[in-house]
Amino acid sequence: MRALAPRRWPLALRVPLLITLLMVGVAGAISKLVLVRLEAVQATHFEELSDAYLDGLSTALLPAMIRRDAWEAFDALDRSRPRYQAVGALLVLVVLPDGSVLAASDPLRHPLGAAAPPEAEPAPLHLEPSAATAWIHRAVSEGGVAVGRIAAEVDVTSLATERRATLLALVGVNAALTLLFALLGWLLVRRMLHPVLRLSERLGQAAEGRLQPIAEADMPPADTEEGRAYRRYNAAAAAIAEREALLTRLAEEERRALVGRYASAMAHEVNNPLGGLFNAVRMIQRHGDDPQRRQRAASLLERGLTGIHNVVRASLILWRGEADARPVSAADIDDLRLLIESEARRRELVLDWRHEMDGGFPAPAQMVRQVALNLLLNACAASPPGGRVTLRAAVAAGALTLEVADEGPGLPAEACALLLDGQAAQVPQAGGLGLWTVARLVRELGARVKIAGPPGSRIIIRIHDAERGTPRLAA
Amino acid sequence: MPTARPQAPPKPLRRTLLALGIAGLAAPVARATPIVTLGLTPVFLDSDIVLVRQIEGHLTARLGRPVQVVKRRTYREVTSLLVAGQLDAAWICGYPFIQHRDALDILAVPLYRGAPLYRSYVITRANRAAATLAELRGDIHAFSDPDSNSGFLVTSAMLADAGTTPGAFFARSLFTHGHRNVIRAVAAGLAQSGSVDGYVWDVMAELEPALVGATRIVHASDPMGFPPFATARGADPALRETLRHALLTMPGTEDGRAILATLRLDGFVPGSPALFDGIAALSHRARAAG
Repeated sequence: MRALAPRRWPLALRVPLLITLLMVGVAGAISKLVLVRLEAVQATHFEELSDAYLDGLSTALLPAMIRRDAWEAFDALDRSRPRYQAVGALLVLVVLPDGSVLAASDPLRHPLGAAAPPEAEPAPLHLEPSAATAWIHRAVSEGGVAVGRIAAEVDVTSLATERRATLLALVGVNAALTLLFALLGWLLVRRMLHPVLRLSERLGQAAEGRLQPIAEADMPPADTEEGRAYRRYNAAAAAIAEREALLTRLAEEERRALVGRYASAMAHEVNNPLGGLFNAVRMIQRHGDDPQRRQRAASLLERGLTGIHNVVRASLILWRGEADARPVSAADIDDLRLLIESEARRRELVLDWRHEMDGGFPAPAQMVRQVALNLLLNACAASPPGGRVTLRAAVAAGALTLEVADEGPGLPAEACALLLDGQAAQVPQAGGLGLWTVARLVRELGARVKIAGPPGSRIIIRIHDAERGTPRLAA
Repeated sequence: MPTARPQAPPKPLRRTLLALGIAGLAAPVARATPIVTLGLTPVFLDSDIVLVRQIEGHLTARLGRPVQVVKRRTYREVTSLLVAGQLDAAWICGYPFIQHRDALDILAVPLYRGAPLYRSYVITRANRAAATLAELRGDIHAFSDPDSNSGFLVTSAMLADAGTTPGAFFARSLFTHGHRNVIRAVAAGLAQSGSVDGYVWDVMAELEPALVGATRIVHASDPMGFPPFATARGADPALRETLRHALLTMPGTEDGRAILATLRLDGFVPGSPALFDGIAALSHRARAAG
């Protein structure tokens, strides 16, 4: 439902909608004003027309009313009918001061001498908007003596019809204008947002690792806002591409340095048992006839070759450079010990290896091994001679916890920020890429990092089970 | 305005002066000018200016003198002008002629449907079931004019024969001063019944069928003398003869026939006072009843 919230609607939709709402509001207010004004004008005109009508009628009727001559009064009413057709009088009554009808335009409904209906009683003119008729009145007197009054029921539906027609015209025109402005607003906003949307699209591609600069041919003039924005984008794209290239080169150099170091370490590991192996070979050559000695020598050969095999295998897995997406297993963690032992020995460090993994854990083995190895190498580098480097690995509550601790001076603040937030103030120099690589892999694994110390440093990486679909976030 | 009128003169004199004043305002005095004045009471044409112009044109040509038609709202006004000599001639109703028989001479009597006769109708609304005058008791009744034979006298005489008067028989009565107005009043429902000239009703049924169709005849009287053209007894004899000749020979001229066709008349006959004896009898009966 949050996706449907108006704040998330595109600008190209929000602006026309806003224009429409504003137009509807303005149109409603103007229509109301026009109708109120029209009603007032109609009332004024109706009053003036009624006055003119009653003036003419009373002039014609006055002699008959003075004489109380029913025929003359009726004759005047009858003759006035076609002349005052525009007034729309439906019924006209000439009423004597005693309330009796002297003449009516419809004598069958209101016979001579009958009492005038209550509607014909004198009352101020009031135009009811919904009424079809209205009563108008005129008192007639001569020399200050009342001789009667005239009351007329007038058809006012034409006024309502005019108001309805005006309302319809207003609604029609306003609706057309609103639609027009909404359409224009949509077109204008689309046009105005086009450069922004293009930039947004490019930046979206950047999130996917493809920060493509905008071609010179598509570049708007430099003195326009979008031209400046496009050029700034291209400058940023070029800077980022340069930074990426630098990092890639540095990473490659680091990797090569690492390979070199471990080639030497591996050579040392392979060389160590070689003396024993040659001894065993010589023992077989000299005392091959002695089954006991031969057996012993063969056993020595086997152990030595197994050790070399393990070192070579671990190195192959680590450095073959291919993505290893299989789940990490206990053997992967054990392989790390083979790789780190020579470094630990060289630095005269004690390895505290507490590994409680029974089977596998659904996280990419390659990435987990790289994280652990880099942390262990970093711990070895930071530890003073004779220090202790600890590794703990355990799986519990759907999460793999890797903990690497050393007795060094503790992680510098910049390294902490890099690991915790993935933020690097500047591009790391060659040699500092280990933690940068850890930070990158931790982000990719969606793991949480916790750091303790000094004294020493203790880095805890918590990786959640990828197959559970839960976010790999843990403390 | 008659501002020089003496204060409170005796009534007959005052009426005569008033009539003179009205005539002086509206129409030139015939003897002082060569114009011939012809009075016209409201017939069925309420304000047919075209017909008036036709009559004026026709008679002017026939007489060789300018003729002016003078119309008044009531019979009494026209009759008074005629009797006072302010008009050279007038088309009046039989009832005023009877009332002023000593002062007036018949010039000619129109022929309607071949005879100088017409009837009076009592009418009501077409959708009403009344079949006799007696059933109209309590109505609001429209009369034409108090000096009209067909529009007042005939109904008054019938009510007198029944031992009553219009005031007692009808709830209310009103004078519309025109036979066409009687039909309008009844058709509109202002009056529930009315007394009207049968000739006017018949002709209007042809001219305005929608209006007349809203009414129907409840009672038609016996034939009576048609409203005559008359002159004052003291009028210029030469002019009287010229006028009579023009009227009697009207069907002989083209524009005369057009006028007669408009009026739905066949022509004129000399007529005689005896033609109006029936109206005189009605007047007598009505007056006797009070």
